[in-house]
Amino acid sequence: MKSMTASEAVIKTTAAKNIGSSFASHWLLRHWALEIFALFAGAVIWESLGWGLGLQWLPPFSQVIVALFHFVVSGVILSNLQSSLMSLIVGFALSLIFGLVLGALMGRYRIVEKAFDVYVHALFVCPSILFAPIFFAIFGLSDASRVAIIFVYSTFVIVINTATAIRTVDPSLVEMAYSFGCRERQIFTRILLPASLPLVFAGIRLGMGRAVKGMINGEMLIAFVGLGALAQKYGAQFDAARVFAIAMVVLIIGLVGNAIVQTLEHRLTRWAD
Amino acid sequence: MIQVKNLTKEFGRIDNGGGVLALSDIDFQVRDNEFVTVIGPSGCGKTTLLRIIAGLIPYQHGEVSIDSHPVVGPGPERAVVFQNFALLPWTDVLGNVTFGLDVRGATKRDSQAKAKELIKLVGLEGFEQRLPKELSGGMQQRVGLARALAVSPRILLMDEPFGALDEQTRRLLQEQLLQLWERERKTVVFITHSMEEAVMLGDRVMLMTPRPGKVKEMIDIPLKRPRPPDIEKSPAFVEIKEYLWENLRAMQTHQS
Repeated sequence: MKSMTASEAVIKTTAAKNIGSSFASHWLLRHWALEIFALFAGAVIWESLGWGLGLQWLPPFSQVIVALFHFVVSGVILSNLQSSLMSLIVGFALSLIFGLVLGALMGRYRIVEKAFDVYVHALFVCPSILFAPIFFAIFGLSDASRVAIIFVYSTFVIVINTATAIRTVDPSLVEMAYSFGCRERQIFTRILLPASLPLVFAGIRLGMGRAVKGMINGEMLIAFVGLGALAQKYGAQFDAARVFAIAMVVLIIGLVGNAIVQTLEHRLTRWAD
Repeated sequence: MIQVKNLTKEFGRIDNGGGVLALSDIDFQVRDNEFVTVIGPSGCGKTTLLRIIAGLIPYQHGEVSIDSHPVVGPGPERAVVFQNFALLPWTDVLGNVTFGLDVRGATKRDSQAKAKELIKLVGLEGFEQRLPKELSGGMQQRVGLARALAVSPRILLMDEPFGALDEQTRRLLQEQLLQLWERERKTVVFITHSMEEAVMLGDRVMLMTPRPGKVKEMIDIPLKRPRPPDIEKSPAFVEIKEYLWENLRAMQTHQS
């Protein structure tokens, strides 16, 4: 009895040590254990539902992974990804420039706000895809149509957030800056921009998400290229596994974009934590 | 010398019925190297008056001038210390103290040297790299004071600078401000709602009445300098404080 307890204890401690060291060496597991478990559980449920129900629109998870693998190996994804990402980068960059500049002006000057507010809110609320036929008419089947769609998808949320961010900067900081003789340009660069950064970044992150949506919607409805066109093509063939595989690629683009913005945000606004 | 003549300030338009008369017929002077405290019940426009002298808000009638130059905006001879400190939350103590020098185009080297000197003077040595949120209220206001002093103003405008601090911190900062003032004897206009503070710090106390803000009386404080920390026990101190309280209480009961 006594020896059994002792050996049990030995086994337990070695087991604990093993688990401990493997946990320590696996930073991922330690910090993201719950997230990883949730993803794993989701995959298992998906897999079993896929096999169990046998629905055409719900292929097992493993088949989606296989389809994704084939996409990657054959190079289909890469070429389409390139074309999609190019339009995403150009469209998002334009919407950033426009959104930040107009937003800052609207936040600072009442007259600019009054002039543009109704348009910005109307365009923000209006489903951006409504403009697809118009852009198609203007730009035809070119990349410019896609870029334009991405732009209208993402820019207005950036305008609105930036305007709010600038407008709600603590007025006592602005007054302080005036008291030291700051001119309008210095008020902008030394007070308004740094103070509004946390809220501005919230807008940029929302804009990034909408830009990815705009990219796919534009490609599915007007440009017929890139990932959206691919999804459209397989969707028409009812090839659910491939559509899901494309969805996963889009998901990854969204996550990577978000991670880039968040890293930048963390660097620049650490003071606000 | 700060000169204020027949100053009247309205917010909104009175003739339209929607305005408020904040200051009416204000007349006073602050001599060079003089420390004037301003006290009055809330609504007497004392902060408005300070902001006008600082050049932060316009006024309608009368004259406000510094060394016979009319005030049309902020100027390098004036610096303001704010009640809520108004520190930049994204930059450290050093960055906050150099702010005024940086915007006036000083080289980084000069402004940092000057700022370090003042950080030492207000007793914050070793805290240069701290963010404002990591400091207590008293320390934050020391940063605010150092930032104002860094631009070497001749006139210091202080808007209830210790009003947001607890009693002990406030007492300590009052003593330190007196010591600082003894060294440089800057011209100071100091807004307060504390009677002790008004008497302890000032060469003169300006007593204001509310709605509209008017100067009721300019009271000389005949306490000799440098003032010791136990000045509050002196009969002259107690007498002036009592006099202020009588007046302020009369204004309060009048209102309610």
